[in-house]
Amino acid sequence: MKLYAVVWIGLILIVGLEVLLTYEHLPAGALLACLLGLALIEAALGVMYFMHLRYERRTLFWSLIPYLLFALVMMDHFWPDALRLMRQRLHGP
Amino acid sequence: MSEAATTLRAPPGALTEGSPYGIPSRKLAMWLFIIADAATFGAILFAYGYLRLANPDWSKPFAFTPTIVNGMVMTVVLLTSSLTMVAGLAAAQSGRTAAGVRWLGVTMLLGLAFAALHLREWFAMIAEGWRLFRNPMGGSPLFGATFFGITGLHLLHVVCGVIVIGVIALGFRRGRFGAGHVEATALYWHFVDLVWMFVFPLVYLMNVR
Repeated sequence: MKLYAVVWIGLILIVGLEVLLTYEHLPAGALLACLLGLALIEAALGVMYFMHLRYERRTLFWSLIPYLLFALVMMDHFWPDALRLMRQRLHGP
Repeated sequence: MSEAATTLRAPPGALTEGSPYGIPSRKLAMWLFIIADAATFGAILFAYGYLRLANPDWSKPFAFTPTIVNGMVMTVVLLTSSLTMVAGLAAAQSGRTAAGVRWLGVTMLLGLAFAALHLREWFAMIAEGWRLFRNPMGGSPLFGATFFGITGLHLLHVVCGVIVIGVIALGFRRGRFGAGHVEATALYWHFVDLVWMFVFPLVYLMNVR
């Protein structure tokens, strides 16, 4: 249980860091990158330790995680359209 | 002796292949469900990002108090419930039934506390005039749709999780369910926790005034 308590403390510290960064007046893109990076670290800690994927056979990891990542990366294709809409927006007088 | 006769005379399970993953089928099924559900949450968070980017008049209604403080408390509550779930699973796997049920009960209480905090926040926003398609700040009305949609789907997962933990805890106490059932439930509960690790920064922290 000691290891899990350490992971729990680490996750809470990461949440604190996220809130701290939010009020550091970073540019929106940099803040988003930082928050996403920290969220991914939290997810990795949770999956590997709390969900015990670290202690399972490697075949389970390689059968699940790459496919999820692939599906998520495939969803990246519509960002150019969102940026186009943002730039094309007509501004009021 | 023919192959068919050999098969028929074999003891149950003797001729079946072991799992390539070395885990029970219920655990594999839960992992597959989690991956599918993760893709669902990924899709709605991507859609949220798309709408946010395409709408320059996106509202930023969240102040440090009460929203962000409330969100931090909710996050700590949910993370703590993951720790109590791990304790419950460890107790269940070592045959300590009473301790396992007790830890599952604590996990349920924390889940209910999370839901109560969430609903309190929702009601405060509704009192301010927020609706699914109405924005009292005058910005994009899509804010309410995405906020209530994403947090509502997550809240639904939490409520379902609390109910499932209750059913499993009762069955485990009566001897109908084993540690394997607790483990599959724990996987789901940790997943619900992990989803919040993305919802809190993306939906709350990125919308700070």
